[in-house]
Amino acid sequence: MAIYKVSYVIIDKDNPGTILNQNHAPLEGEIVQLGDEIFEVLEVLELVPPRGDFHYIHVTCRAINNFGK
Amino acid sequence: MDLTQVLQSVDLFEGLAVDEIEKVARICSEERFSKGQIITKEGEQGDELYIIAEGFVEVLLGEKPSSAARVVVSLGSGQVLGEMALLDQGPRSASLRATSEPTVLQVIQRNQFEELCQENTHIGYIVMRNLAADLSFKLRHRNLNQR
Repeated sequence: MAIYKVSYVIIDKDNPGTILNQNHAPLEGEIVQLGDEIFEVLEVLELVPPRGDFHYIHVTCRAINNFGK
Repeated sequence: MDLTQVLQSVDLFEGLAVDEIEKVARICSEERFSKGQIITKEGEQGDELYIIAEGFVEVLLGEKPSSAARVVVSLGSGQVLGEMALLDQGPRSASLRATSEPTVLQVIQRNQFEELCQENTHIGYIVMRNLAADLSFKLRHRNLNQR
């Protein structure tokens, strides 16, 4: 089963970003929750070539204020 | 999900056979932390490698009496913590704080880790290669974050 190790970098915000493993590939336009905050994925890039079942992905995203409110 | 399955989802162990992962599992112990709880403090000695099985952990730098620490990255499930002190035996380079309820870590002691790597050099080679790749990935993340 593929596992995606994703480096989330947040733009326009004083946020150090997040690294985590997830079982699905991130998609542009996707809404993701990292901790207590909600973000929109803007760009997805393969950071380095896959190794075994692991894919190494870089995601740029932006914070969404008041999502779902 | 049993511990072997948890470890198979961590790229630190990518390339190990199931029986080798089971050997790693035998030297793991589970520790649970509450939201806000400090796991390690910058500058302290530490002999443990941590693997996040569930939740999130913030990496903090530069705590001083006059100023609060700065968060340099947040790490989620499958990520490795404490690897620098494990490799170079220096003091902890950063503090770690649990930010989710609960935060579940698998902990490996340095002496048990080194014994396993010496007993089984294939495990030692694969895990050390993967540790180097993990440090590289974290550096790439930091470089991209500072653009």
